[in-house]
Amino acid sequence: MKLVIGGYAQGKLAFVLEHYGADRCRVWDGVLPKEADAGMEMVVIDHFHNWVKGCMLGGGCPEAEVGEFLKNFPDCVIISDEIGNGIVPVEAFERQYREQTGRILVELAGKAEEVVRVICGIGQKIK
Amino acid sequence: MVLVIGGSGSGKSLWAEGYVASFPGQKYYLATMHIYDEETRGRIERHRRQRSGKGFFTIEQPVDIRLAADKINLYQERTESYRHGKGVALLECIGSLAANEMFGGQEPAAEEAVVEKIVSGIASLKEELKNLVIVSNNVFEDGKVYDDTTMAYIRAMGWINERLAAMADQVVEVVAGIPVILKEEPGGNVPCTF
Repeated sequence: MKLVIGGYAQGKLAFVLEHYGADRCRVWDGVLPKEADAGMEMVVIDHFHNWVKGCMLGGGCPEAEVGEFLKNFPDCVIISDEIGNGIVPVEAFERQYREQTGRILVELAGKAEEVVRVICGIGQKIK
Repeated sequence: MVLVIGGSGSGKSLWAEGYVASFPGQKYYLATMHIYDEETRGRIERHRRQRSGKGFFTIEQPVDIRLAADKINLYQERTESYRHGKGVALLECIGSLAANEMFGGQEPAAEEAVVEKIVSGIASLKEELKNLVIVSNNVFEDGKVYDDTTMAYIRAMGWINERLAAMADQVVEVVAGIPVILKEEPGGNVPCTF
């Protein structure tokens, strides 16, 4: 698994398609596919943070669901916004969303064979 | 051309000023901030004091950044500084330039138009200079979903940064006053070996 993180509107998806090959990738926007849904292409999860938020709002357990997903797709690319570098929000859910997303990203980064941070369209390989 | 990006209070301005001041020849400061109130007045004053004695000639250019080239040429004619070759400019900053372009009229301007105007303006401005150092802001990492107009403004900033980074010879992120090199020509992106 490869993890690509960076701020909003930094060109993360364009970076992934360019560097990992657009023709080899199938992009899932804020959705984790089930095993049967995927084809031969490499699974790219765009807006992973939106999926985490949706999962939390639906009462699910994002950690467990991601773990399951990774068993089915060990060679995927996960793209997430960096959402933790702002003022801590007043709303409890927004706080929890940032905290939990951050923790999940730390865990994914630990497991990933490669972690890239994208800023101004430039990829920095940080692992 | 050098793009300098950093968060609020990261020390990006101070680093960029020091960097530009280290070049020989005439130096220009391209100021983009409108004075709205006491807070902007104070901010501008702080930056003026920070720059004083570093030999900058200040040009106010809150919109139409392309026009700064004419003012630079006029100044060079008047002072005959063209004898020493082209000058070096510090443009500060993309955040206020983009805000002025987008929100200066009755209705907010389209994000694509703002991006195109600023990027093409800078592309022609840099031809008049030996080096152009541009300060931009990292406003992309707080995870907040703002109203549509603000999101359009943030996207425009993202696009401008990306296009300027592609044009630049060097891209530097300033973190707690420390310059982290994201791109250095020749040889591409230093920290990333794709």
